[in-house]
Amino acid sequence: MAETGTKAALPEAVRAEIEALRPRYPTTRALLLPALHAAQRAAGGWLPEEILAAVGDYLGLPYSDVMGVVSFYDMFHDKPVGRHRIRVCTNLSCALRGAQEIVAALHDELGVGEGEVTTDGRCSYVHFECLGSCDSAPMMMVDDRYHENLTPEKARAIVRQLK
Amino acid sequence: MPTVTIDGRTVDVPAGTNLIEAGLKVGVQIPHYCYHPRLSVVGQCRMCLVKVEGMPKLQAACATQVMKDGMVVSVDHPEVKALQEGVMEFLLINHPLDCPICDQAGECGLQDYSFKHGQSFSRFDYEDKRTYPEKERIPLGPTVLLNMNRCIQCSRCVRFTHEISKTSEISFFERGAHLEIGTFPGKPLDNELSTCVVDICPVGALTSTQFRFAERVWYLDKKPSLCTGCDVGCNITIEHRRGAIRRYKPRLNEAVNDFWMCDHGRTTFARYAAVPRLAAPRLLRGGELQGVTWKDALDAVVHKLKGRSEGAVAFLGSGFLTTEEGFLLAQLAAAVGSPHRAVSVDGGPARTIPNRQGGITGRDAAPNRRGVELAGMVPGEGGFDADALLLGDAASRCAVLFVADSDFGAAAHDPKVIARLRQARVLVVMGWADSPLAQAADIALPAATHAESEGCFVNVDGRLQRFERAFPAIGEARPGLEVLRDLLARFDPHWQGLGPEEIFARMAAALPALKGLAWRSLPAEGVKLATTGGSPP
Amino acid sequence: MAFEPVLTRNIGNPAVLTVDGYRKAGGYQGLAKALKMQPDEVVEEVKKSGLRGRGGAGFPCGLKWTFLPKGLDKPRYLVCNADESEPGTFKDRLLMERDPHQLIEGCAICCWAVGAHTCYIYIRGEYVEPAAILERAIRDAYESGVLGDSVLGSGFKLDIVVHRGAGAYICGEETGLLESLEGKRGQPRSKPPFPAVVGAFGCPTVINNVETLCNLPHIVERGADWFKSIGTDERNTGPKLYAVSGHVERPGTYELPIGIKFQELLDLCGGMYQGRQLKAFVPGGASAPMLAAKMRDVKLDFDTLAKSGSMLGSAAVIVMDETTCVVRAAARLAKFFAHESCGQCTPCREGTHWAELVLGRIERGEGRESDAELMLRMTKNMSGTTICALSDAAVGPARSVIVNFREDVDQHIRERRCPVPPRRFFGEGN
Repeated sequence: MAETGTKAALPEAVRAEIEALRPRYPTTRALLLPALHAAQRAAGGWLPEEILAAVGDYLGLPYSDVMGVVSFYDMFHDKPVGRHRIRVCTNLSCALRGAQEIVAALHDELGVGEGEVTTDGRCSYVHFECLGSCDSAPMMMVDDRYHENLTPEKARAIVRQLK
Repeated sequence: MPTVTIDGRTVDVPAGTNLIEAGLKVGVQIPHYCYHPRLSVVGQCRMCLVKVEGMPKLQAACATQVMKDGMVVSVDHPEVKALQEGVMEFLLINHPLDCPICDQAGECGLQDYSFKHGQSFSRFDYEDKRTYPEKERIPLGPTVLLNMNRCIQCSRCVRFTHEISKTSEISFFERGAHLEIGTFPGKPLDNELSTCVVDICPVGALTSTQFRFAERVWYLDKKPSLCTGCDVGCNITIEHRRGAIRRYKPRLNEAVNDFWMCDHGRTTFARYAAVPRLAAPRLLRGGELQGVTWKDALDAVVHKLKGRSEGAVAFLGSGFLTTEEGFLLAQLAAAVGSPHRAVSVDGGPARTIPNRQGGITGRDAAPNRRGVELAGMVPGEGGFDADALLLGDAASRCAVLFVADSDFGAAAHDPKVIARLRQARVLVVMGWADSPLAQAADIALPAATHAESEGCFVNVDGRLQRFERAFPAIGEARPGLEVLRDLLARFDPHWQGLGPEEIFARMAAALPALKGLAWRSLPAEGVKLATTGGSPP
Repeated sequence: MAFEPVLTRNIGNPAVLTVDGYRKAGGYQGLAKALKMQPDEVVEEVKKSGLRGRGGAGFPCGLKWTFLPKGLDKPRYLVCNADESEPGTFKDRLLMERDPHQLIEGCAICCWAVGAHTCYIYIRGEYVEPAAILERAIRDAYESGVLGDSVLGSGFKLDIVVHRGAGAYICGEETGLLESLEGKRGQPRSKPPFPAVVGAFGCPTVINNVETLCNLPHIVERGADWFKSIGTDERNTGPKLYAVSGHVERPGTYELPIGIKFQELLDLCGGMYQGRQLKAFVPGGASAPMLAAKMRDVKLDFDTLAKSGSMLGSAAVIVMDETTCVVRAAARLAKFFAHESCGQCTPCREGTHWAELVLGRIERGEGRESDAELMLRMTKNMSGTTICALSDAAVGPARSVIVNFREDVDQHIRERRCPVPPRRFFGEGN
């Protein structure tokens, strides 16, 4: 599978992170999800094809399988995202407490729709399924943080702060 | 061995046999898509669900094994039938009505099971079908095209590339109703066995670029045969429409190629249409090629062979001759007292076909060098070999050079080699191809292709396999077996009018390796010969 | 209701995030006691307690442990299912964020009981903060000798690894989780073989939910009899976390004896939001069939709910008032299941997609008279016919909206519109 030739290599920091995890698992393949998380973070929030191939090379996995894994999970992105990723929960409990109004407010504030990135690359927006915060609905996730007990105004304010 | 009862029929099976295989043993066909005897069991299509006594939910037959006595299974059961209708309905809700333009029509898993297990109406009559925009004709690789709209997500192709070809080009992407198969950009489906995924795809999602739109399958006549691409001897089916071959498909032989054949083998029949055919006997008289009758042509050959003017009489065979043809050629050489029995076979790239015995690898570019050599086409004391004739000047010392295959290899089209062979005083060429070599011959004898012949090949493992004629030869061409027999009969009348069965019997009597074998009773999977060493007759 | 919290007793005491603080609050006593018992004795105690899985399936916990084959020369694993993605559920997050050592202690007790030396906590990828909290607590546990080569000096070796998922509800299904842990697409496996025999990395594996494991220190410390004294009956025992959301005054996690009545729970939450009328409720997460208001006195335990045509599942209770269109609710859940289906099995892949389309149409006022019957008959082919239960879960809301709220459905179809358009939740000026 691994070929010679000029290709992207995984950044040193990502490789170090993977190596630190290696003793925890009996197989190399089990490193794939943690490796993709690390590689995605290092690549600015999404996974270009060259990085997928680099992960495949590093772990000795077929490229098609790496792509298969990336496309399966909602948190791995194979297209460019904004510097900040906004995920608004629109599942039942949040919908019952005004999630649609949060969505409308954000669309208005950001000027983008579902799955889009603002023209200045600042934010990308998606709706999301239940994030496990139903008692503080409506809520959203921005990058790694939860923002709970939102109102349309609070949501706008949070987003305005993002650089 | 534990017993299992399926629809009232009881049978012993080895412990661990799954219910689909057990069903086949008692003539019960359990419908299935994702199951394949050579691929891992995933149990995901849900078409094979059956009722097992004592279990409340229906069980996937592919994933249920017979381990102990007393399992009672019902396939002909209202719950099972209702589920089969349900699964068919589900499969068809997003499947495009492409039958009129789809290659798979007539051999399609959805069509067949719709008819047998489906309901004649659909309740999905209001929504739009889910489609994969821009994915109606995606080249997955050089030999396979994908129409993702037709895919039923059975994962056979995914498992094939991971488990059989072990090249892992195809994976699943996305999930749910948007689940699709695909390859990584820049890593197309391109391995020796690529086209096998077309064979195992139950629907028309994967089609062969070679066969695409070539023929409606119900017009095809199908004849079991053998591939001539190399000496693995893959069992194939020749699928043709009145003598025009449209495709080769692999045929199961667990001892040789299992369910598979390679991409190269599938292309080999194209040669029969690409190279002009030698359709009638010909003599070269006064610099002109003249058509003659078979009688005249054979008379001319015999006259030259018996003429015994100064010089050797040499015989050059190929790896494409049947074993019987090789035997008769060697007999002919013996009849004229000639030790010059040569065989020319090109070496090819090694091709490995996976099977359950660790795979089988062929290295010749022709199917039957072993059979022809075994049958006696080995130089005798002081006899010329192929190198002497093709690369040396042995032909210049020949009164008669009889080349039994006008397309024996790359050298048959090489002007330098033809010039050397032409040095023989009389050049006789038999073969199906009207190659430059045939055009240089004094006497050209039109022969049948292997699709128009019957006989045996001996493969790299020493396995003798028989094949039969798919359709009659064109024009005045005749099977090489008959031509050689007729020639031989002029020397020994006992050969007169013998059929393939009788010729085989004589061959088996003469060759220790074939002792005890008979034409009619050769096993379907072929027979491994004890020795394959060739020896002069 | 003078019920002493057990699982949530440390919530609100941030000191318990450290080993020291947890110990001072009485923690790690259960583990110390377990290590002095024979592993089989621990298994027996858990079996006696009647603890049933708190992840959704409700399978008897101790019994599941006994399925591990004996004498197999392979390592055993414990996998803690912290994937918590069932809509309406957030109780495991609370436990992990506020009392991580309770989970660590529970994992350790389980590993001791079943002979596992490695435990993977598979936590959903979106729980970034809880994963970090767990990692810190685990590091502290290693440093304090709670984990590592000799748990509490007993000589028992135990490693706990936090493994993050990446956003897929199906990875909460035990074999989907195992596939994901192994670095593959989270597509569930056919069973048999069951994870107890062939689980993580081909080895015998126990998979338990976070809340289930958090019960173990208490069962060991206070005994199976104590555990059994809480709850409805022999088959429904112990404390239960109810995650309540939707149209109630005080959404949150409530720890109560299993089997509390829905109305009683609602009262504890401060009653309906703004005093409105109850219309419908989901008793056990999105997969649980929706119940109409008239069922308000149903006991929220495994068996009562099962007999009442629903399920306890993850005990995520979602409350809907009169401003809710139940058809819209069901359509939104259908969309969820269609999105989360892994796509392997034909009935689920195609059926969840179809259900989303049909319920969506009905909600928009484009429903046809035959649609209700269509849904009922089509969902029959999705029940009990697939590799895993996501298909059955999808059937829960899809069927129940038609069976229990037929008039709502018919009204949409008859009037060719939604009679309950979405109402603003936030007032003017918000």
